[in-house]
Amino acid sequence: MSSAEVTALPTPPESPQVQSTQVVPMWRQRWRIFRHNKLAVISLVFLIAITLACYLVPWLHPTNQTNQAATFNVPWNAPPSAAHPLGTDSSGFDELGRIFYGGEYSLTLGFLAGFITIVVGTVYGMVSGFFGGIVDTVLMRIVDAVLSIPYLFLLIALISIFGRSTTFLILVIGLTGWFGNSRIVRGDALLIKNLEYSQAATAMGAGKTHIIRRHVFPNSISNIVTVATFSVADAILFLSALGFLGLGIQTPQTDWGTMLQAGAYQLQNGFWWEVYPLAAVFILVVVSLNYIGDALRDAFEVRLIER
Amino acid sequence: MLAYIIRRIIQSIIVVLIVLFITFCLPYFQPHGIVAPAYVVYGTRATPANVALWARQNGMDHPFLVRFWQYITQLLFHFNLGHSYKQNMSVWAIIKLYVPRTIWLALTSLILATVIGLVVGIIQASRRNTVFDYTATGTVFILYSVPAFLLSLLLIDLFAFHWPHLPASPPSGVAPWAMFTDPKGFILPVAALTLLSVAGLSRFFRGAVLEVLVQDYIRTARAKGCGNARVLFRHAFRNALGPIITLLGLYIPGLLGGALIIESVFNYAGLGLQTLNAALNLDVPTVLGITLLVSLLTVAGNLLADVMLGLVNPRIRIEGGGR
Repeated sequence: MSSAEVTALPTPPESPQVQSTQVVPMWRQRWRIFRHNKLAVISLVFLIAITLACYLVPWLHPTNQTNQAATFNVPWNAPPSAAHPLGTDSSGFDELGRIFYGGEYSLTLGFLAGFITIVVGTVYGMVSGFFGGIVDTVLMRIVDAVLSIPYLFLLIALISIFGRSTTFLILVIGLTGWFGNSRIVRGDALLIKNLEYSQAATAMGAGKTHIIRRHVFPNSISNIVTVATFSVADAILFLSALGFLGLGIQTPQTDWGTMLQAGAYQLQNGFWWEVYPLAAVFILVVVSLNYIGDALRDAFEVRLIER
Repeated sequence: MLAYIIRRIIQSIIVVLIVLFITFCLPYFQPHGIVAPAYVVYGTRATPANVALWARQNGMDHPFLVRFWQYITQLLFHFNLGHSYKQNMSVWAIIKLYVPRTIWLALTSLILATVIGLVVGIIQASRRNTVFDYTATGTVFILYSVPAFLLSLLLIDLFAFHWPHLPASPPSGVAPWAMFTDPKGFILPVAALTLLSVAGLSRFFRGAVLEVLVQDYIRTARAKGCGNARVLFRHAFRNALGPIITLLGLYIPGLLGGALIIESVFNYAGLGLQTLNAALNLDVPTVLGITLLVSLLTVAGNLLADVMLGLVNPRIRIEGGGR
């Protein structure tokens, strides 16, 4: 893939030559290309805005989201009104506030789980691809095996065995989602360690850790960053799928999937405000992550840098 | 070719063994470990003595490796996927009861989705950067971004509640003929799974055909005066078939996962809904048995895809087995 043609190692931005010889630092080059993609920039802005809102709104403008006893004088399933801009849900909780409250859990869990998948996947893939031979065979057979268990079934099986606390949901998605990532990273490592500059480094007496750190890792960073974005999107998606199936976070805490499940029961009564506003936010979050991932992939595509 | 097939079969056997090892080990981690079923069987009478007795009667006190060996041989020679103590049925019996409905759902939508996806993908690839291409790409992108459960919800809300033409859930009898008591009930679940699969497949089909269309032999064919349709179907489509076959083989887990969610939304009494209910009831043997079966199906699908790919494309089997 693209990494085969990577020519520029990341130049330290503070290097004085950078300005004079018009060698633009790698990250700034990438950012220029990324910036061209208007949709991706809009997505990035939206994602930052919604993340900030999910963390700040429950704190700046607290609404009752956990105390069932305090909802007795609040109308349940009430349509949007001045007091409740998006109505209330079937427990009398304010729907708008709940979108942010649930988002806090969905996004936190999604980002953390995505982060775990990318770290574990990278390390595993690097080791497998770099050392090759029997290590590679053994490690990759394990990946093949786990990947042949349909992911949703694996998650359901693990949850039925280990239970579902918040921590465990992060761990179960984080520690099972990385197998695909490791395959991608392993492909890169395998390719890069056989390129001329790696061989030259070996010939000059560089150790294995040095080659991984200075050559293999920096040159596969493009794929890693792209994969990371998609991993977070996947983690959020699978987490809400689990929530929707009734295997997510337990009340009184909630996440977007669990909220959508609760709203789904109210759809036949025509209580649209319990599903559609949240569904729109949710889809936009996933779409923006995908757009950002696509744009990152383009930004790291070395062939496009020269344009 | 034979060497290639044998090598792939050996690889698959190793993969299956690792999968078996995983599903064998998982019960050790549930509360009470592998003797957990004793607490289901005895209920409030589960004294330590009773549990120990049950463990001995069911061979739970054998060494780890002996039990693993028994697990494998039971599966291989008796097709014993385990026993559900909560439902007092063998897991295989549960699967046999519900699997026809899942196969019906998955197969119908896979066929529909492949046909629709291929047609859309080929038209898109041949009319690249036209209004049709953009519209189709946009639609597919939206479909692809909408999670399975939201798409199903939307379909139900539109066609069952808002314009009440179709039932929101299919007839729930598990007998094969129950499907015909209210065929309209199957329209929404099948449509949902089809739309989801089309979203995944047509993007790929477009790419596969496009990749072929820029090859030299296509230009040669055109230069020799080949018509557009002939180039598309004779030259491009045939060469794009390789990746398409592989994708369909690799698509099985996605299809079953999608089917699981759709079954739960539409209350479609299939294998997926059964897995989910078992998980909610903490019926671990059923969950693991069904998971094991779908994993074996996935391995078989991958193997079949690779072998067929080897038949279609000689370069792969000569090059060697490395993936």
